[in-house]
Amino acid sequence: MIGEMTPVRGGGRTAGRDGFAQLLRAEWTKFWTVRGWVVSLVLAVLLPVGVALALGNASNAGNGGFPGVATGPGGIAVNDNFFFEHRSLAGDGSITVRVTSLTDGAVPRQGEGNLAPQAWAKAGIILKDGTRAGSAYAAVMATPGHGVRMQYDFTHDTAGLPGAVSVSSPRWLRLARSGDTVTGYDSADGRHWVMIGKATLAGLPSTAAAGLFVASPQAYQSGNGYVPTQARARFDDLSLQGGWSPGRWALCEVGAPQSRVGAGCTPVSSRVVPLPLASESRGTFTVYGSGDISPYVPIVDIVGGIIKAGSLAGLVALIALSGVYVSSEYRRGMIRTTFAASPRRGRVILAKAIVIGAVAFAAGLAGAAVALTIIGPKLRSQGWTPPIYPAVSLGTGTGLRIVAGTAVVLALAAVFTLAVAVMLRRSVGAIVVGIALFVAPWLVAAAVGQSLGAFLLRVTPFAGTAVEQGVQHYPQSSAVCLASHGCYPLAPWDGVAVLAAWAVAALVAAWFVVRRRDA
Amino acid sequence: MTPVAGPAQSLTRAPAGRKRGGVLAAVHAEWVKLRTVSGPGWLLLACAVVTITVSAAVVAVEKCSSASCAVDTTKLSLTGVQVGQAAVAVLGVMVVGGEYATGMVRLTLAAVPRRSVMLAAKAAAVAVVTAAAGIIAVLGSLLAGRIFLPGDGFTVARGFLPLSLGNGPTLRAAVGSVLYLVLVALFSLGVAAAVRDTAAAIAIVLGVMYVVRGVSSLVLDPAWQLRIDRVVPMNAGLAIQSTTNLTKLPIGPWPGLGVLAAWTAAALLAGWLLLRLRDA
Repeated sequence: MIGEMTPVRGGGRTAGRDGFAQLLRAEWTKFWTVRGWVVSLVLAVLLPVGVALALGNASNAGNGGFPGVATGPGGIAVNDNFFFEHRSLAGDGSITVRVTSLTDGAVPRQGEGNLAPQAWAKAGIILKDGTRAGSAYAAVMATPGHGVRMQYDFTHDTAGLPGAVSVSSPRWLRLARSGDTVTGYDSADGRHWVMIGKATLAGLPSTAAAGLFVASPQAYQSGNGYVPTQARARFDDLSLQGGWSPGRWALCEVGAPQSRVGAGCTPVSSRVVPLPLASESRGTFTVYGSGDISPYVPIVDIVGGIIKAGSLAGLVALIALSGVYVSSEYRRGMIRTTFAASPRRGRVILAKAIVIGAVAFAAGLAGAAVALTIIGPKLRSQGWTPPIYPAVSLGTGTGLRIVAGTAVVLALAAVFTLAVAVMLRRSVGAIVVGIALFVAPWLVAAAVGQSLGAFLLRVTPFAGTAVEQGVQHYPQSSAVCLASHGCYPLAPWDGVAVLAAWAVAALVAAWFVVRRRDA
Repeated sequence: MTPVAGPAQSLTRAPAGRKRGGVLAAVHAEWVKLRTVSGPGWLLLACAVVTITVSAAVVAVEKCSSASCAVDTTKLSLTGVQVGQAAVAVLGVMVVGGEYATGMVRLTLAAVPRRSVMLAAKAAAVAVVTAAAGIIAVLGSLLAGRIFLPGDGFTVARGFLPLSLGNGPTLRAAVGSVLYLVLVALFSLGVAAAVRDTAAAIAIVLGVMYVVRGVSSLVLDPAWQLRIDRVVPMNAGLAIQSTTNLTKLPIGPWPGLGVLAAWTAAALLAGWLLLRLRDA
């Protein structure tokens, strides 16, 4: 029996190698010789471009301006607004302080106690290139929700000791400058110190502003949007080393919302009613503050949103194409000829998946690249300008990721639909399933509550469109990530991995089904 | 003249008589097709079940914790219509597109050569069965709202009366939602008649419904948003479900449904014209 099978097997193997190339060629020929399919492929390129043109025209940033947004190192948009009890430090030196409390600083209303402080409220020590909003800095701080952190130049964030501060569990913080390098330390007892991190601030002038700071970011309330908050911190056990300027501490507000962008520090009278914003009594400092020191994350993802909308329009054409590419074989009985010519059905499915994936990839690449090229200048002319909306083009990393990611998403979505169509043998079912899984989460996530919306963006095939995000999110940003605003819980390529898992699972299921049943 | 007139009259009368019978016979034939194939029944069931399930899930989850929640409870209870419409859209497409896929359409046209009659018969049959499923879907959704909403905090004390068809705006929203589903099914039927291909028609209908709505939600310019909400079929058509703040709507309830009706009329007209102009 084995002897009988050997020639067949051997023949199968040699035919297998060129056989697969032939199979691919056959499937490709089937695809490109059907006019309607080529038309839908062209539509898959034109629809994203049309959507981009339409949305680009209908999107005006308005000229209301963005108070409080400054330009940080590297040209990025930043929040740099905090209350700064400062002196100047010439040359190398250090500052050490103990933080004993960080609470909500709002004056309690009748019948209310203090509210819980914001998770990213900050109280600590900072060393900064002057007091201009957006200048380079390094800081070590206590936070109510994220423990001790060392942060510098807005985008860098390193965790130190965990936990919130209290009188019974205070935190000692230290910043030491040596040339361009600032090192942050923390300690739970004031004796055992641990280095959190080192920051290299290129071009830091020899005299820097340094001291205590307090900030409390705006809180998001559904229905009201962002509302300002205030925090209150207590410091003591302060010690300074190096060339500190003599005299009293000066309190000012860096980047006050009402001040001109790029202006210096707004002096704050220490006799503000009803409470002084900073006071010192026998070595204990009480400082109030609001604002935030973090990268500015815009709510509207204009570029990502437009490219995503266009790619979903193109995707509908591709989903229809994938469904019909399979179902037409079943409808006309062609599938029997196909399987007779190539009895190994799994390879037929694979060849079809490669053809449809490749054409969808090409269509996605072309559509997204043209759409991005068109909307770039259009959006700039309509007020979507740096630093908040940095230019996104094919020449930037974000632009390349969006375009390449769109192509990958469309290819995987087409393969997924193809596999579903193989299982169902019908185009209508496959198209409805495809659209339901790829388009419905988009509409539903925008309409339902935050937790369900984020869940949908995490587990459905639609998660793949996370790769089309045009706005960079930072874990240390206090901006809320709302599914209804198009913010994804997943990093760009993690979303693609979710989609890829769906596509592979569907292909495996299709392979299993096709082997088990008659054509 | 008189001897000739008799047969001539009967000749002219006979086709007229057959034509009258023809319309009814054509509708009856379409009804038989709808009834004896399993697909339409499942789609209508899916429409009712999906609509009621989604509506019930939404009203069960939505909470009102303070006296100031501004929620249109009727509209909220009818949320499922936005999902259930996909099933009747598929039905509308299949009734025409399915016949093209199998070649059945040639038989149908041999039996009913007048294409406007064939299209009208299909439209009538689809409209009736969609309305029947739509009534069940809408009543079930409103019942879910009536049961769940008071427990979610939408109480009489906060100004939310239990949903009732005795309330004029709620009745209008209910009747309008049924009409909305019928118009969506007929729109799909018209598109399918125009493109003759099930897959293309389904993609076009679901694209126009859902993708256009999604794309239009990204428009930030209020002036453009207003224009879009007045012409996009799903945005405008769903205005019929609103019962509160009617003066602030981009388009009134009945004019909004009228916009969808205009889309449906345009699709049916295109389908009819193309059906007349070309071979089956």
